[in-house]
Amino acid sequence: METVISSLSSALVLSSMYILVSLGFALLLSIMGILNFAHGAIYMVAGYICYQFSVELGLNQWISLILSVVIVGLFGLFLEKFCFRPFLKDWFRAVVMTIAVTLIIETTVNVTVGVYTRQLPLFIPGVFKAGAISVSAERILTFIAGGVLLLLLTWFIRKAKMGQQMLAIAQNSEGAAFQGIDINRVSAIACVMGCALAAIAGCLMGALFQLSPYAGDSMLLKAIQIVILSGIGSFGGIVFAGLIIGFIDAILPLLTSGAITQTVGVGIIIVLLLVRPQGFFGREV
Amino acid sequence: MSEQQLSVKKQSRLVKPAIYAAVLVILIILPSIIQSSFLMYVFTLTLIYIIAASSLRTIALSGQVSLGHAGFMSIGAFTAGVLGQRFGWSPWATLPLGAFATMAIAIIVGYPFARLRAIYFSMISLFFGIGILSLISVFQKYTGGENGLVGIPSLFAGSYLANYYFFLGLTVISLLILWRFESCRIGLKLKSIAQSHLLASSIGVDETGYRVMALAVGCFFVGLAGAGFAHYNIAISTSSFNLIASTNLLIYVLLGGIGSFVGPIIGTVILIIIPELFRSLKSFSPYLSAGIMILVIFLIPQGVTSLPQMIKGWIIKLRESRYVNHDARN
Repeated sequence: METVISSLSSALVLSSMYILVSLGFALLLSIMGILNFAHGAIYMVAGYICYQFSVELGLNQWISLILSVVIVGLFGLFLEKFCFRPFLKDWFRAVVMTIAVTLIIETTVNVTVGVYTRQLPLFIPGVFKAGAISVSAERILTFIAGGVLLLLLTWFIRKAKMGQQMLAIAQNSEGAAFQGIDINRVSAIACVMGCALAAIAGCLMGALFQLSPYAGDSMLLKAIQIVILSGIGSFGGIVFAGLIIGFIDAILPLLTSGAITQTVGVGIIIVLLLVRPQGFFGREV
Repeated sequence: MSEQQLSVKKQSRLVKPAIYAAVLVILIILPSIIQSSFLMYVFTLTLIYIIAASSLRTIALSGQVSLGHAGFMSIGAFTAGVLGQRFGWSPWATLPLGAFATMAIAIIVGYPFARLRAIYFSMISLFFGIGILSLISVFQKYTGGENGLVGIPSLFAGSYLANYYFFLGLTVISLLILWRFESCRIGLKLKSIAQSHLLASSIGVDETGYRVMALAVGCFFVGLAGAGFAHYNIAISTSSFNLIASTNLLIYVLLGGIGSFVGPIIGTVILIIIPELFRSLKSFSPYLSAGIMILVIFLIPQGVTSLPQMIKGWIIKLRESRYVNHDARN
């Protein structure tokens, strides 16, 4: 019972964080057509910024979380304007640019904080108890934060004007431009949103797990896996795909080794790509 | 065409082979100029990565941009490593075996992968590369898992010079074969597939067959590079072949210029040797690589090898504008 509850809670926590990170990745991929290899590094650096504010400078942890999200969001604005916009129609140069940004972020963390792993203090210490079930409050907070953000995002994309414009650009950017949608403005907002979501996930995960300068690489991989599973260009499938990947990551290691878990995850993606390249919810190849 | 123009053309035909010969001569006498064994180690490593990057470009000729090329490299490296270290085979047998094993796997996966085009091919190759690495971790008993193998037999034990000359020869031969492959009819067919696969297959080019062929030839050479890396470096681990290694190979190609054969060579040399020359910067040296990458993509969009063409274009523009001014004044 104890292991079932703990693995279920970690599956839900992992899924919600994976979904937040990969939603930002998918926004950039479908709106700007850029495969953002720097997304993992952005997720990683947010945790470090929060660490610097809360542990080194001694600020309130919630304030440092907000500061970290704001800083990373502004960095997203910079990224869109100077790093992505010049290479919109040039896939190769955009790839080189995103990898250069990754290098710069990782090196900055290495130089300033060091390669050693760090850990953020818990946002809410304590344990939540209900009868025989006891789950750490931090996990519940992370899951609730992920869920609330996800609901807000769903509302934003489905109902808000800006979200509808994003969907229109993802479907057909030229057609959207004909209808008078300012593509540059929408992509800037998408980039800020993507970076801010990754930052929230990075701070929350930093309290549950360890911060490491290379933690972004595995998260980037998860984001790509989830986007492929749900299909490039579809946002709705990301929740479903994120739950699949989160449950595989949380539950399979109980039964087998970590290497086999990764092999299974990658194997599912390869088979899916061969059978149905557009993913579970994609429209076309 | 006047006689003067003809002689100029003859001269320019001789310029390129002369440059290649001069570079080769410099590379041959390099060890006697540079007495540092560390720099020779870096140069030999650069030679190995030149083979890998050039083979990636051969695959990219057919319009398939592989993001898992280091995964294929790991097949060659771990085949050579496991056979050499666990079973005591001679390096001279495992070096070609690593290359052939990689080619065999490339042919097996090439047919199903050829269903996918553009970004979907890049994605499946990315996950194939990661899958290979996690398979290597699963068979920990033989491959040593994530820590990899230590104590793989060396080709020339302890001699930097012999290793350098061997890999110089291997690189030159590999590049000649790849160049021949690209410049014959097959290369043209690959380029036609990259431009329009529908048009190419409508005039009778077997798209799947040629794409698999490009993948097989590219993977043969990257397997050779991987096996050479295993025997040269003596120790291998999965971290040398992860996603970052794959994207690094792609960056070597893109930085040098994907449109020219010399591109990957120049890209590899720039991105491996310049950060090594500034080793005194220590942990700051990735800034240098990132700076070079950003400068090149902003200033020379087609890669470093297109620089002469760009300059030529500027000169022509400058001349034209001068003529225009001249005419206007008259």
